Amino acid sequence: MVEVRLESVSKRFGRVVALHEVTLTFEDGSFTAILGPSGSGKTTLLYLIAGIYKPSSGRIYFGDRDVTNMPPNKRNVGLVFQNYALYPHMTVYDNIAFPLRLKKLPRDEIDRRVREVAKLLHIEELLERYPSQLSGGQQQRVAMARALVKQPDVLLLDEPLSNLDALLRIKIRAELKRLQKDLGITTIYVTHDQSEALALADRIVVIDRGRIQQVGTPDEVYARPRNLFVAGFIGSPPANLIPAKIVARSGSACVAIGDTVYCPDKPLSEKLARFQEVIVAFRPEHATLGEEPAENMVSIEAEVYTVETLGKENIVTLLVGATPVKVVVEPSVRPQPGSKLFINVEPEKLMFFDPETELNIEYIEV
Amino acid sequence: MALAGLLRRRVRVSRPVDAETYPKRRLTLVIAAAVLLASLPMLTTYILLVLSSFSETLVTGAEFLEGKPIRFTLRYWEALLSGRLSAIVMTPVTINVWETILNTLIVALGVSLVVTLASTLAGYAFSRMRFRFRERLMELIILLHAFPGVTLLIGVYLLYIWTLASLLHGVGGAGRAFAVFAYTILARASLEIPMSVWMMKGFFDKIPWEVEWSALIDGASRIRTWLEVMLPQVKPGIAALAIFSFLAGWEDFIYVYVFLYLGTEGKYLTLATLIDQLVGNLETAELPLAAAAGVLYLLPTIAFFALTQRLLLEAYTGGVKA
Repeated sequence: MVEVRLESVSKRFGRVVALHEVTLTFEDGSFTAILGPSGSGKTTLLYLIAGIYKPSSGRIYFGDRDVTNMPPNKRNVGLVFQNYALYPHMTVYDNIAFPLRLKKLPRDEIDRRVREVAKLLHIEELLERYPSQLSGGQQQRVAMARALVKQPDVLLLDEPLSNLDALLRIKIRAELKRLQKDLGITTIYVTHDQSEALALADRIVVIDRGRIQQVGTPDEVYARPRNLFVAGFIGSPPANLIPAKIVARSGSACVAIGDTVYCPDKPLSEKLARFQEVIVAFRPEHATLGEEPAENMVSIEAEVYTVETLGKENIVTLLVGATPVKVVVEPSVRPQPGSKLFINVEPEKLMFFDPETELNIEYIEV
Repeated sequence: MALAGLLRRRVRVSRPVDAETYPKRRLTLVIAAAVLLASLPMLTTYILLVLSSFSETLVTGAEFLEGKPIRFTLRYWEALLSGRLSAIVMTPVTINVWETILNTLIVALGVSLVVTLASTLAGYAFSRMRFRFRERLMELIILLHAFPGVTLLIGVYLLYIWTLASLLHGVGGAGRAFAVFAYTILARASLEIPMSVWMMKGFFDKIPWEVEWSALIDGASRIRTWLEVMLPQVKPGIAALAIFSFLAGWEDFIYVYVFLYLGTEGKYLTLATLIDQLVGNLETAELPLAAAAGVLYLLPTIAFFALTQRLLLEAYTGGVKA
């Protein structure tokens, strides 16, 4: 068990920059999710830590060990690939035993450890089978067992649940979290699925186009997105983004969203005063709908566009000017498309972004 | 009809029947008939060859039309297998057939070994490693395959004569025999290698990178990964390759004729050159004897194709199912 540290690591493939100046620390025993859309460089980051790729520049440390140029077979990491990559010509037992055989452990020691990890992952009755005789969920467990059996310093998981059906995914997700906490292995989990990241991780690293967008706890990433990308990526549906103008009202800066003018308190209004335009964001689940503007709330007039019924809730899409805005409401609320309503949001739930740098102005130092 | 019925039944048991896989009976019947018709001439010649080897005179098929009986004899087989050819062929030759078979086997196994080894290594490199001129080399190899082997013969022969006269001057006995065989094997194998490299590359390409990486991460060295994880997965390819190149070496005439036979003043015969000798002078040739040698010559081909049909099909489509 070890801390993993990346110092301004870049990776280029020819002219394509897959990762740009990534500096990150994965704390000893922590569970970190690397979250990003496809092509964001998240898998590249994982492969760099595993040693499959070598960084174009920068250094990688496991604790005090500099592993930048160390081949993967010397790093003692466990990796579960998206397609599991089991050895098709070996039985499950031999698949799991393979890393131990390479370590030249005594036969009974190997046997003991294989059976131990098989028990942990509930695959004891599958040991004599071949990978082609297993279901996706079983293969996933075997891949996990193979990664864990060598007691790795770091456990790397590359979208391990994405090939499973929805029900199984939620079941294994819970087991995975429990397992990681019990074993206390530093775990890095790559996913494009934010619900997995939010549910599993102690910390989330949001990555896009080869650059780190935000590092934080699930709560931080959700409640205080650092930039527009994070706000528009996290959440289901993600945050609403509405362009707005800054206007002066009685000497202080106020935000004009369509016809609605909201004047925030001192520190925020001072920050806002430096901009002509901002992008206002709020989460669909933080807004309510009403016939009238609500008191102590920011109320924005909008026209209902469509209603999606999801059973436990409804998602109403409205148009503010030409901008679509989504609001999550009770299943009983089903406004008529075309009707005019007010979107009411508590002022504390509003976020403001600089349209140029795309940064949350909360994070801009004055 | 019996054959068509057999085909149909096989289709039925081997796959679950649903709309897509439901056997189209008529089509199967037509295809079976067409295949049978197309292979009829070949089948007939094979049958006549086998019959001839057990008969006093060459069986041409006309006997059946004329109603003449075929006079059965084991004389030619006995003569062939015991090597007492002088009793049949007027010229006083004694040929040790077993030695001839051994020579043929040495060439065939040698070609098989060299081709398999070279293509497995090169196929892996082309599939997995990045080096300069990789694409160019791949194209060059295909180009090499396009050259007919006979055109290369003159150059290779010159080199051969020169090697024997200079480097191996004064080397006799086992050393010379080894050199002669090695030369024949290498020259023959080099004709097979280009296509085989491509075939092996195809097999290696089918293995996901992640499987190889897994082995590296599990702590295996590159060589161990290759030996213990990659090779077992291309086993069908290696087997097909070994068989193909074995047959190529077994059947080869021109290279063994030039290097093993002419190049050594007729010291080493293989089955192919033996048959050539037996039918060499058509007027005095004992054709049933040549037929017996021909049957011997065909045996491994028929045996391999009968035993490994599925494997060969897989090799041609380049598919290994995990």
